[in-house]
Order: sequence, then C-alpha cells, then structure tokens
Amino acid sequence: MSGTIRSVSVVWLLLLCLVLCRTLTGTGAAPICANAQAGCYAVSLANLFDRVVQHSARMHGISNDLHSEFEQYFLPSKNQVGRVGRNCHTSTILTPNGKENAQRMAREELTEVILKLLVAWRDPLWHFHRSMAHHHDFTNFSSDKALEMSDMVHELRKGVERVAEKMQTLGLMSDPVNSQVSPEALPPPDSGEWRRMKDYDLLYCFRRDSNKVKNYLKILKCRIVPEHGC
Amino acid sequence: MKKPSEAVLLLLLLFFTPHAKGTRFSPPGKPALTRCRSPEKETFTCWWEPGPDGGLTTTYALYYRKENSEAVYECPDYHTAGENSCFFNKNDTSIWVNYNITVVATNTLGSTFSDPVDIDVVYIVKPNPPEKLTVTVMEDKGWPFLRVSWEPPHKADTRSGWITLIYELRVKLEGEDDWEMHLAGQQKTFNIFSLRSGGTYHVQVRCKPDHGFWSEWSSTSYIKVPDYFHREKSAWILIMVFTAFIFLILTWLLHMNSHSLKHCILPPVPGPKIRGFDEKLLKNGKSEDIFSALVVSGFPPTMSSNCEDLLVEYLEVYVPDEHELMLEEGKDLHDHCLKSEGSTSDNDSGRGSCDSHTLLMDKCGEAKEQGRQTEQEERPVETQRHQKEWNEDTLPYAHEDTVSPDMSSGRVKTWPSVFCPLPQYSSSPPNHTSSLEIAKQHCLSDSLFPPGSTSSYLTHPGHSTKETLGPSRWEFSLSNKQPRSLHPQMQTRQQLQARSDINLSNVGCEQAPVGLLPPTARPTEYVEVQRVNEEDMVLLKPVASGRGCGDGCPRLRQAEDYSKVKGVNSDHTLLLQREVMGEEAERCPCQDQETNGETDSCITSSTVTTTQKPPACNYTAAAVQDKMAPTVSGYVDTASIFTLPTY
Repeated sequence: MSGTIRSVSVVWLLLLCLVLCRTLTGTGAAPICANAQAGCYAVSLANLFDRVVQHSARMHGISNDLHSEFEQYFLPSKNQVGRVGRNCHTSTILTPNGKENAQRMAREELTEVILKLLVAWRDPLWHFHRSMAHHHDFTNFSSDKALEMSDMVHELRKGVERVAEKMQTLGLMSDPVNSQVSPEALPPPDSGEWRRMKDYDLLYCFRRDSNKVKNYLKILKCRIVPEHGC
Repeated sequence: MKKPSEAVLLLLLLFFTPHAKGTRFSPPGKPALTRCRSPEKETFTCWWEPGPDGGLTTTYALYYRKENSEAVYECPDYHTAGENSCFFNKNDTSIWVNYNITVVATNTLGSTFSDPVDIDVVYIVKPNPPEKLTVTVMEDKGWPFLRVSWEPPHKADTRSGWITLIYELRVKLEGEDDWEMHLAGQQKTFNIFSLRSGGTYHVQVRCKPDHGFWSEWSSTSYIKVPDYFHREKSAWILIMVFTAFIFLILTWLLHMNSHSLKHCILPPVPGPKIRGFDEKLLKNGKSEDIFSALVVSGFPPTMSSNCEDLLVEYLEVYVPDEHELMLEEGKDLHDHCLKSEGSTSDNDSGRGSCDSHTLLMDKCGEAKEQGRQTEQEERPVETQRHQKEWNEDTLPYAHEDTVSPDMSSGRVKTWPSVFCPLPQYSSSPPNHTSSLEIAKQHCLSDSLFPPGSTSSYLTHPGHSTKETLGPSRWEFSLSNKQPRSLHPQMQTRQQLQARSDINLSNVGCEQAPVGLLPPTARPTEYVEVQRVNEEDMVLLKPVASGRGCGDGCPRLRQAEDYSKVKGVNSDHTLLLQREVMGEEAERCPCQDQETNGETDSCITSSTVTTTQKPPACNYTAAAVQDKMAPTVSGYVDTASIFTLPTY
C-alpha cells in the first residue's frame, strides 16, 4: 500500500515538474534581439546600453582586482627598464587617448574600436585562465576571477554587437561598420605576441583596455541615449 | 713684539673663520615625487618634495617619458600649480598612456635624480568637491525630512560620460561629533529622514570617480529644522492624559477591592492548629497539660461507642423453609434493626440485622427465638473458632488480594479484621449479637444456620461439633494464599441465603460490626463475599439457594459479582452493585446440590458481567426473581448461596 502511494506521488511530482519547467523555460526562453521578431522580445536601446555599460564596468572591476592581487603577491621588481619595455599586443589598435579625440570620433568608429579590443582579448584571457588554473600559486578565487573575466569579454562582445545592430536598425549608425568588425577581417597580429607576455603584464594591459572599453561605451551611451546617468 | 702675535691671531682667525661657519657646499639632495593628481582626467599635476639643497641654490626640473617612446620631455609648466609642481595641460596629457616622470635637482655642485614614477592618468583622478550644495526641509505626511541636492564639480565632465562620479554625503546635528554617512551613488539628490525637531544640521558632500580618489568634502551647508512640537507632542499629551485617566481608574478599583485582592494574591496562611492544643500552655511550660489536651478521649472508639451507627453490615441470613418461622419472627425485629428500608422482598433489602439469626445487633437481641438462640449459641462457638482462625488470618487476609476471579464461588472471604476487631468480639457475650458481629466481621454474606438441621459444617476441619449446627454452613475461604477456607463438611448443603446489607462504610470503625440480617422467609438473594480484590473491594457473589430452588428455581446467576460498590449512603449503607458474572444458570444448581461439585459448576459458569438483577434463586418461588430491584437500590442481595465447594 505504501509502495503504491509512493509511486503515485512520484508520478505526480514528475508531472508537476514537467509543467513547471515548461512554463518557466517558456517564459525565459525568449532571447533578446534588436528587432522584435518571432521568438524574441525587443529591448529598448537605452536598456541595451545600460546593460552593456554595467557589464563593462563589472569587467573592469574584476580586472582591477586581479591586477592588485598580482601586484601584492607577485610584485615584479621595480625594474623600470622592464616596465618601459612593456608592450601590449593591442597597442596596434588605434584608440583615442583623450576626451576630445574620443568625442571627435564617429560612433561607428568608436563601436568598431570597442569590438576590436574585445575580440583581441578573447584568446589571451582564455589562455591566461588556463595557465592560472595550472599554477598552484594562485588561489582558487583568482582562478575563478580569471575565468569570469574571460567569459565576460565574450558576453560583452555579443552585447556590443547587439547594440550595434539595434543602432543600425534605428538608423543611428551606418551599416559598413559591422563588416569591418568581424573577427575574420581582423589581421592576426595577435598570432603569438601575447603569448610572450608575462601574466602580470597581461593583466596590466587588460586592465587598461577594459577601462577604455568602459569609457568608450559610456561616451557612446551619453551621446546616443543621454536620458539617464549622464 | 705685539705685531707678530697680532698677526698670528689674525691668521688664526682667518683660518678658523671658515670652519666656524660650518657650511659645506654639496650637490643637492635627492628630491622625491610626492603625488600626481588629475582633477578631471584631462590634465594632471605632479608635486615633488625637494631634498636638502646642499647649501647652494638648487633648481629642479621634471622630465618625463611617455610609454613606448624614448623622447624625454620636460615639464611644460612649473608655475600654475605652485611651487615644486608641474602642471600638464590638455595637450600634454594622454590618457591610458604610461608616464615615467623624474625630478632632477641641480646645483652648482651637481644634480640629483629622483626615483622615477610611473603613472597612468586614469588612475590618479581626484575630482574637486561637488558644488552648489542645497539643503531644504520638506514634509512627508506631516513629518519633516531634508532634501539635499548638489552639482558635480564644474570641471568634471560627466555629461558626456567621460567621467562617472559617485557621491557621498554626511550629516550631523549641531554640537555633535559623529557624522552620519550616506552613499548616494550616481544620483545628485538625497533625502534624509528621522530628524529632530528644532535641530540644526550640517551637511557635506563629496565625490569620487569609479576608480580614483575621493574628493575633499564640500563646504558645509546648514539647515535648521523647524519645530514640530505641537504635531509630535500633542499626540503624546493625549496619550499621557489617557494613560493617567486609566491609571486613576485602576487605582480606584484596586482600592475598592483591596481586600479581596489581598486575599487572592496573598492568601492567609492558616496557622497550625491542633485541636486542644493551647499554645499558651506551651509557653507556660506545662507539658502534661499540653499533651493531655491532645489526647482525645473518644479515640479510638471502643465497643461501647455507637459503632453500629457508623457501620452496619447487614447480613441477612436466609433460613430455608423449616426456619421460616424464625425468619418471620425476625421480620419483627426487622423494623427495629433494619437500617435499610424494610422491604420484604427476597432481595433482602431492608431486612434488618435482627432478622438474621446468625448475626444480630444488640438491639435486636431480645427478639430472638429460642431456635435462634440455640443457633446462636452454637454460633458463638463456631464463630469464636472462626474468630480465632480469622484472627490469625485476617491480617494477612486483609492484605491479600490475589484472589483469582475464577475462584469458585464457594469461597467466602471474610472481611478483614481491619473493620472488625476480633478480640473485642471475643469478649462480647456469646449471644446472637456477638455472633452477628462476628459474622459481620467476617462479612460473610451468608450464614444460614438452619437450626437443628443438617450438620452444620464448619469448614474448619476438626471441629466436628460444628456439624451439629445444622445444615448451615459457613464457607469462607480466606484467600488464595491461604486456602484455609473452611471447607464445609457438608452433608447437607444448606443454602444460606444471606442477605447482606453490607454497610462497610465505616472503615475507621474497627468494630465494624457487620450487620447480618437474618434472612427472612422471602427468598432473597444473598451475597456471598467472594473475595476482596486488590482494591479492597468486596466481591460478592450471589449464592443460589439451592434448597429453595426446587422446581421453580429461577435461573441463578451463577457467579454474580458484587464487586462494585455503588456507594455508601447516608445510613452508612454500602451499596453494592451487582454484576452478573456468568450466564444465566440454566438451573438452580445449588438447590439440588448436596455436594460441592455441583456448586462448582454452579459457579463456574461463564462470566457475563452484566449488571442485572439476577433472579433470585430461592426456594420460595420464582417470584422472587422480580425482586432484584432492591439490590440495585443499594442492598446487596445476593442470590442464594451456592453450596460452597469444599476444598
């Protein structure tokens, strides 16, 4: 008797779970897309920008934390010669180095720069995370942060692409930008240059580049949708 | 010779003068860059600390090198930012570029380089404090609050998104030392609640870029919160008045009921009192008086006391047909002696103890017949013998309680002598009274001594004289433990129909005379004390009157259990409740029984515990059956006694 009751209750639970899961997945399944198409729901450009800006801020925060950690525990010798000789692999990408330069830049160029930067950092970060995992010197916390950082770069790139799409659909941006941003079009300057970089230098470079990305996105946002927070 | 000494002196002075001054020129000490700051991420300034200058005028120069470039530049502006500073304007400032800065101190003797410093302008931003701080008092549903608002520093370009600032403000009351901090995030307004009416508040605000340094606190803004006294306090005044009013009422109530309250909360503790104990005597020190006062003369109650009034056990012995006369005579006494209501029913209810010719009360003594007297004379003998037996056995008996319910009904347990102080009985005159009393003691539910009839058998072996008593027989078994039940040597099984009006109410009365009422002619039920169980209950069993139940013997309740005491009424009558244990006897076993064996069968019928009125099985007729009612009314009228089994 108890056995049948148990089986019946299990069946009921399964049914309930199926129903719930379907409803839950149903509501959350619709992806965000720039255009309100079937199967996805549209988000406003301001909302998209907000998300992207917050995302970039968080990414920069993590990179800052990791860099501080490295500075504490693996403080490189105060070798100024070595410091000067450091060269980030993204230095080839031309980025505006001042406010006027940034504001003078067209939104398409700015978006392109952002995307270039993000693309350039995808592989190095992933390898960095792998190398961190193998090194037992680093704490698990740092390893997790590195992984998170690598993921965030990936996500952020997607988000910025969405924003660009949305802007194009809204007519705020011209089309040709996207084609230039595709990863395949990029020359492979990062073929191996970043591999020679030490971990600390890599972190230093990424901290700066994430700051750039964050700043450029904010400039874009306040230029295009200046309603909130500008 | 003054001139050479003077010359020597002069020379000495000249020689030593430079040493007396004590200064030596040296190259300048090492300067140090103390800090570099940028207020808006577009320009920045570096300050250095000069070292010892070495006694000579020292000049300082700042040189910098940008990242990935070998060109060395000198500071463009040494004056804008003050002394020992270098100001980089917008044209010279590059964000996200590493600057390597060095300060050089130079004097005539040499130059000294400071330690180089690497900076990136992004990370050295320290904005100016926020501007235009305004504080106003506003009202929210009658409660005041402060609304603080400010502007970002004018140099920081937050509008274009170049810089993102977060703000923090602090508040304190005038005169206090502790500030209350509030983080405002990126918003430029803030509300402060929980204000004190009439107080003056100081408010300050500062800001910070998301990765940078906090600015200095802005200038203080003062605000005075107006008095909301009447708003806040009026309600309090109302509450206070109300509370005072309620308090007054409560006090008044308390005062009115103080006495009863005192009783309730602090109940008067009864002082110890011993009746007859005079504390004053104790003080006087006369102990004899004290303790004599404690002695209660009337305790313990002796025989002379009216114990009978307290406890009357009626055991009515039913005499079979040949003794009807006697029974009828007993009926006269019945009125006197009966404590119970006189009902001539067979249930023996109301039969006075006088009716029992075995056990008679004192006041019934004169009414005895000869026959009874003979019996009674005989009885004392028996009873005294029994008495002795019981004397020995009573005590243990009193405590035993392991009578099995299956015990054949032949067992008659005598009432423990707790109730019946036997020794006293022995001293009593061997009259019917004593026998009665003795019988009472034993609480025999039945004793029938048909005068002159068949040999009475005292179950006590060895007393052959008992047999002369006639068919009456006493059967009583003490207990299981002491199967000293007196086996009746019965040749004749007289059935004793004893009506027991057992008034066992008086436990304290040791005399506890059990009034055994002589059985009247009417067929009543007699209770046979079966046993005393653990709860000191007298289990009474109806005894079928075997003899009487000749033809129309109604079905007997074989083993009626009178174990339930229904109660004790005011007359000290023990009301027993009959429980019929056993099926209806198909026959009147006892009547025909001359042997023990049948008795057993009588008794060992299946037990059906039903409270019924068992039909009396008496020899008179079946009509007796209907007279069970009195039993329920309180008199224990057992059925006719079975012939007790022999052991």
